[in-house]
Amino acid sequence: MADDVIFDLLHSEIVAFLHRTTEKDNQDQCINKLESLGFRIGQSIVERFTKESPRFKDDLDIMKFICKEFWSAVFKKQVDNLRTNHQGVYVLQDNKFRFLTQMSSGKQYMEVAPKYLAMSCGVIRGALANIGINSVITAEVSAMPSCKFQIQLQRT
Amino acid sequence: MSRQAARAGDPRKVNGELFTLTYGALVAQLLRDYEDDEEVNKQLEKMGYNIGIRLIEDFLARSNTSRCSDFRETADVISKVAFKMYLGITPVVSNWSPAGDEFSLLMENNPLIDFVELPDGHNNLNYSNLLCGVLKGALEMVQMDVEVKFVQDQLKGENITELRLKFLKRLEDAVPVGED
Amino acid sequence: MAVCVAVIAKENYPLYIKASTADNELKFYYTVHSSLDVIEEKINSAGKNANDQRELYLGLLYPTEDYKVYGYVTNTKIKFVIVVESSNTTLRDTEIRSMFRKLHQGYVDMLCNPFYIPGESVSSKSFSETVISMMQQ
Repeated sequence: MADDVIFDLLHSEIVAFLHRTTEKDNQDQCINKLESLGFRIGQSIVERFTKESPRFKDDLDIMKFICKEFWSAVFKKQVDNLRTNHQGVYVLQDNKFRFLTQMSSGKQYMEVAPKYLAMSCGVIRGALANIGINSVITAEVSAMPSCKFQIQLQRT
Repeated sequence: MSRQAARAGDPRKVNGELFTLTYGALVAQLLRDYEDDEEVNKQLEKMGYNIGIRLIEDFLARSNTSRCSDFRETADVISKVAFKMYLGITPVVSNWSPAGDEFSLLMENNPLIDFVELPDGHNNLNYSNLLCGVLKGALEMVQMDVEVKFVQDQLKGENITELRLKFLKRLEDAVPVGED
Repeated sequence: MAVCVAVIAKENYPLYIKASTADNELKFYYTVHSSLDVIEEKINSAGKNANDQRELYLGLLYPTEDYKVYGYVTNTKIKFVIVVESSNTTLRDTEIRSMFRKLHQGYVDMLCNPFYIPGESVSSKSFSETVISMMQQ
C-alpha cells in the first residue's frame, strides 16, 4: 500500500506539471484540469467507500458522510466545522487542510493556494455527483493552513 | 451508529487506492492531451524524476540507510526498503548481468496498475513509467547515473512486470536540486 | 446459475447486459426493462419507514412462470438485475446475495479503471469474466 509521502509528492508534482505546461495567462485552464482529474478520482473513490454501506437517507446523511468518513479517509482528519443555511448551502471548515500543511503561511503562498485546492474540490464534487448530488464547490483560504469549502447543491 | 463503521475501511489501504486512482487519472489525462504513447512516457518519466529528487530526502531521513558499498547492495535497498516503504511491495531482484552493472526488479503486483485495463492501440505506452523517473531522480541524488526502463509489463499481457536498471557512471559532484 | 445479468445506469439505460444464450437476449431485454419500475418502487417505499435497513439488496422483484428476477441498487444508483430459472430450486437467498456482492465488487473495480468513462457501456474483459463465472456452474 502506498505511503502518504509518495501520494503528497505525486499531488504536488501534478500541480506543478499542469502549472508549467499551461500558458501563464491561462491559469484557469490549469485549475480546470486539476478539478476534472479530481472529479474522476472522486467518482471512483466514493463507489469503493459506499460499497458495504446502507443506502443514504437524505442530503444531510450524505453531507455527514462526506464530513466524517470520506474526509478522514481522503484528507486524514474529520472536518472541524459543518454549517448549513438549510437551503442547499453547506460550509465545511478544515483548520489544518492536508494539502496546505506543507506550505508556509505568507502572501506568496496565498496566491498558489487555489491550485493546491482545485483537485480536492474536484474529488469532493465527483464523490457527491456520483451519490446523486450535483454541486458547485468553491474553496477559500483566509489563514494557512485553514480552509473553507462552500458546497452549493444544484437542484435538478 | 454501527452503519458508519462499515464505510471507508482501513486508512492505509484507502491511501493506497487514492494514490492508484490519482495516478490513473493523470495517465488518462496525459493520453488525452498528448495523444501519443511515447510523449506520455516521456512526461511521466519527467514527473517521476521531479518526485524522485525530493523523495530521496525523505527516504534517507526515515530509512537510516548508510551509503551502499556497491550496486548489489543498492539493488537490495531499492527493493527491500524503498519499494516496501513507499508502495508496500518487495520486487524480486534478479537477472544480474555478468559484470554486475545491470539487474531487474520483478513485480507481480504493481499497485499502480490495480484496476487498469489498457485501451486498444496503446502498445507503446509504459503506463507505470513514472517509476523509472522516480528511481533515476532518487539515485542521481546519491551520485549514481542509472538508466531505468520497463522491459515487461503485465498490462500488456506479460506474466510479470520487469524494470531494468543499468548503472552508467558515478557522478562526482552533487547535482544541485532544481526547483521544477 | 444466472441466465441473465444486467447493469443499469443511474438514468435507467443499460450499461451492460448478458444472457446465457444469445437467442434469449431480446426476451431478457424486455424482462430487465420491466423490472426497473419495480426497483424504483422498492427504493422509494423504503425511505418512508425510519426503521428500514435501506439494504442495497432489494430481493425478489417479481417471479414469472419460468424466471425469477432479483434486484440490487448501489449508493450511486446503479442497478443490478439477475435473472434465474424458476426451476432452479437449489438457489437460495444467500447465493443470490453473494452473486450480487461479486457483481458489485466487479463493477467497482471496473469503474476504477482510469480509461473507463463513467456512463459509457461496459466493455471490460475482467468484468465480463466475473459475469460469465456467474452463469456457469
